[in-house]
Amino acid sequence: MILSIARKEFRDAWRDGRFRWAAGIILVLLGVAILMARQQVELSRVERAAATGMERDNWLNQGQKNSHSAGHYGIYVFKPVAPLAVFDRGLQPFVGNTVFLEAHRQNQAAFLPAQDATAMRRFGDLTAAACLQLLAPLLIILLTFGTLAGERERGTLRQVLSLGVHPRSLVIGKALGLGGALGTLLLPIAGVGIYALSRIPGVDAGGDDSWLRLSLMACAYLLYLGAILSICLAVSALAPTSRSSLAILLIFWAGNTILAPRLASDLSQWMLPTPKLADFDAKVQKAIQQGLDGHNPRNERLQEFRRKTLEKYGKKNVNELPFNFQGLVMLEAERMANEVYDHHFGELWGRLEAQDRVVTWTGLAAPLLSLRSASTALAGTDFTHHRHFSVAAERHRREFVKVLNEDMMNNTKPGAHGGVAGRELWEKLKPFRYRPPAFAHAVSGATPGRAVLCLWAVAGWVALFFAAGRLKPN
Amino acid sequence: MLETKKLTKRFNGEAAVHKLSLKIEAGEIFALLGPNGSGKTTTINLLLGFLSPDEGEARVDGANVAADTISARRKLAYIPEQVMLYPRFSGVENLDYFSSLGGRRRNRTELLELLARAGLPEEPALRRVSTYSKGMRQKVGIALALATEAKALLLDEPTSGLDPAASHEFSQLLRKLAGDGVAVLMATHDLFRAREDANRIGILRAGQLSGNYTAKELKDVDLEQLYLRHLGK
Repeated sequence: MILSIARKEFRDAWRDGRFRWAAGIILVLLGVAILMARQQVELSRVERAAATGMERDNWLNQGQKNSHSAGHYGIYVFKPVAPLAVFDRGLQPFVGNTVFLEAHRQNQAAFLPAQDATAMRRFGDLTAAACLQLLAPLLIILLTFGTLAGERERGTLRQVLSLGVHPRSLVIGKALGLGGALGTLLLPIAGVGIYALSRIPGVDAGGDDSWLRLSLMACAYLLYLGAILSICLAVSALAPTSRSSLAILLIFWAGNTILAPRLASDLSQWMLPTPKLADFDAKVQKAIQQGLDGHNPRNERLQEFRRKTLEKYGKKNVNELPFNFQGLVMLEAERMANEVYDHHFGELWGRLEAQDRVVTWTGLAAPLLSLRSASTALAGTDFTHHRHFSVAAERHRREFVKVLNEDMMNNTKPGAHGGVAGRELWEKLKPFRYRPPAFAHAVSGATPGRAVLCLWAVAGWVALFFAAGRLKPN
Repeated sequence: MLETKKLTKRFNGEAAVHKLSLKIEAGEIFALLGPNGSGKTTTINLLLGFLSPDEGEARVDGANVAADTISARRKLAYIPEQVMLYPRFSGVENLDYFSSLGGRRRNRTELLELLARAGLPEEPALRRVSTYSKGMRQKVGIALALATEAKALLLDEPTSGLDPAASHEFSQLLRKLAGDGVAVLMATHDLFRAREDANRIGILRAGQLSGNYTAKELKDVDLEQLYLRHLGK
């Protein structure tokens, strides 16, 4: 019986011109979004490869100069584009993709794609994720708002129930049939997605486990759309008319997709405020000068360091030391600054991650928030992935500065601030090779979001069964 | 086959059906007459299990409707005043769907044959029902009763709005069904059809059965006068 109902719903949905039109539009949008994103990802990867090569050439061919000057000459490192950004760009447009590595200073990623975007950006990105997160629920609403309320109004519900159909079988059959109709719609999209992903070469951006990530993403989207479907059917079963069912569902859609993301963002900022960029920079600079506790000026610490070094080597003057003391001071100053950076950036990033957690758990009230969290984590475009890259870039900066400072210490004359280094030294610095976080990292990041989505899916079905128990004809 | 014992249903404390006791045997057509609001549709809803009785019970082929609703419904076919069908499906597709819900899957040939028996030939049976007249819809309803091999048939104003020819055709189908042993309860305002088709006629007034006559008892009686007398007019 359930299969009969499912089959009928499936056929009825596809015979409905409204559904066919809406499905066609969404299908086209999804296809265009995926193919355009693939092109963008490929382009970004080509540009990144070219920029990385050029940057390396610049570094190696900078000519002869003081190693400390080379530290200020600096290098750029570029964040690789995650293959699954084809589906979900996540934070990528807002967090920057290039970090300038230089002596003394930990810079944040710059060159945000969003800065180059037109005013159209305020309407959001056309991505496969956005289509599935925002438009697919609208399609479900269109498909389901009248499925039970409408049958009640038309009188077919009375006819169906009079045949001894259990209301629970009826709603399960409808859910399966309508789910099947939507699934049929998504199948070609899955094909386009697989094609798009399979054409992106390279492993350096986590391509190794892209298929696993994609499978889990698909599960998350199925949970989300399944929950929306069951909620829509429950509302349709309980609403007195199909018009009121549509009104309730549109309010739910607007709340879930328009209101909730803004409210959750404000809530997280209110609960865990983050400093403005200028304030943050000022605080970091102050801590570098005054020490983390604010009572330990840098100059005094360096004086103390000088005293201890002279004591250690039994010398009275730094010029008597067997190495260039300036180089050692540079190393020590970097070590002290790094402590400050670790503390402040750790605190800031920890807070940003905590904000993300607040948003994810706010998904208990609006499932889209949890889906976004799971989707971006699996796509490798969430904040934890960005942090992973930033940490790797900073590690490289420290290594790069250390190599230069050690050269200054060991290969320049004691007491001299100058000295000249060349290509031999520049080659000692290995190119930046970034390996994105392992699959486990993405899974762990996506777990809270997926857990909340599971709760929504269960709640949706419970609501549906509850509504089935109250299903009555006119 | 169809039985109610002291069946009572109240809405806001007021009885819509009051201690109604009826027994309709297999092969019998029982016409339930009564003015609007007399409790005819409430009685049918109680027999269908769409309403729960406040007192008494309703049974279909021995199954208590309130306690075992699904199994009672499985023995019934219900034809409302307007048989509602799915407009994007043809007559035969509607019948296929409804008969499978009634637990009887049939192949296309059988379905077309049932529709033909109910008076709907193949050509219209293959058309979308959005083009159907009321009479054609009623025929699909009758075909459904045939398809599910229902033991009892509940009809709520089945001939209302039908032209005389369609009404006559419908009556013939009804009698054929009763001839096959189906118990029929027909709630109607149509005194003419009631007299023509029913073996027994009951007159409902304010939820109570104020008269219950066999066709033989009514043979030489002016049914309209009798009906009005029962209503106190």
